[in-house]
Amino acid sequence: MTEQEVIELIDSSLAEEFELARADMTPEANIYEDLGLDSLDTVDMVIVLEGAFNFKIREEESVRAIRTLGDIHRFVFEKVSGL
Amino acid sequence: MIDSNKIAVTSRPPHLAMLVLMNLWCYGLLLLWTLLGILVFPFAFAVGLLFLRCSADRVMRWFIWIYGRGWMLLMSPFVQFRRQQMELIETGKPYLLVVNHLSFFDTYCMAMLPVYDITFAVRSWPFRMFWYSGFMRLARYLDVEGSSWDEILSNSNSAFAAGGTVLFFPEGHRSRDGQLQRFYSGGFKVAIAAGVPLVPLCIDGTNRLLPPGRKWLHPCQISLRALSPINTADFKGQDGHIQLRKLVKKRMGIALEEMRKGGV
Repeated sequence: MTEQEVIELIDSSLAEEFELARADMTPEANIYEDLGLDSLDTVDMVIVLEGAFNFKIREEESVRAIRTLGDIHRFVFEKVSGL
Repeated sequence: MIDSNKIAVTSRPPHLAMLVLMNLWCYGLLLLWTLLGILVFPFAFAVGLLFLRCSADRVMRWFIWIYGRGWMLLMSPFVQFRRQQMELIETGKPYLLVVNHLSFFDTYCMAMLPVYDITFAVRSWPFRMFWYSGFMRLARYLDVEGSSWDEILSNSNSAFAAGGTVLFFPEGHRSRDGQLQRFYSGGFKVAIAAGVPLVPLCIDGTNRLLPPGRKWLHPCQISLRALSPINTADFKGQDGHIQLRKLVKKRMGIALEEMRKGGV
């Protein structure tokens, strides 16, 4: 998958799950302050990403450091690229 | 209480004396009713265990429902309660209920339902209120923030197995403008995983009783409408909960608009 395809799949999956407006989904958007997600959504977000990319990330410490949509893009792209 | 009849809603602001009287009456009696409930609770609980012959958590949920009914009675000189389409809910049958959220008093209004065995799914903060937490834990309410998915599903399944209902507020927070907010997926996932029908409920009027951020109660009419149960077996697959959530939100939006226009 190209980086753009990864980003598109992340954004479309999160938009569907969390009723997000695509216009608000910029890489610098803070997932809590700007996109309105909260502690209840964090677990669901991991499940959505695992389902979309067919990998397991719920045990990974680095997931906790995610703050922006761009962080998610980078994290997932590194994961699917095997970096 | 009134059942499914059109009633003209007056929009004239209430007189100041009426507001003062209502607030003295409602807050005063609510305090007394709560104190009485706390005092009587140990005896009523023991009697319930002895004569109802059912589990402690079920007796607790029955007690909470009675407390809600008492609250409705206290409010009734100033608040008109309307129940609509409640015949769609069969007593003794397991359902997952979802309801929109407008006010602190929405939970009290669930006493308008024809079933008393209601396990509420709530966030963690009410469990930190010591005057509530003991009763909530005894009633085995679901802490959707502090529990794992497996615990939530397991506890929901226990409630369903006993013919009870589980109730979610899918918006998670009170709406500030009365419009439906984003829906969380949890309740929809539980309904699908447990294989129970989902009944959407629409509440209107509690935002006028006590608008968010205000302390003065206002006379109003509160309506609670049940919508047709939805068979969750039709929502399979990875995005089944999203499709179910969208359908429920659409139906609730249409029903709320109709209710606010005064239709039945």
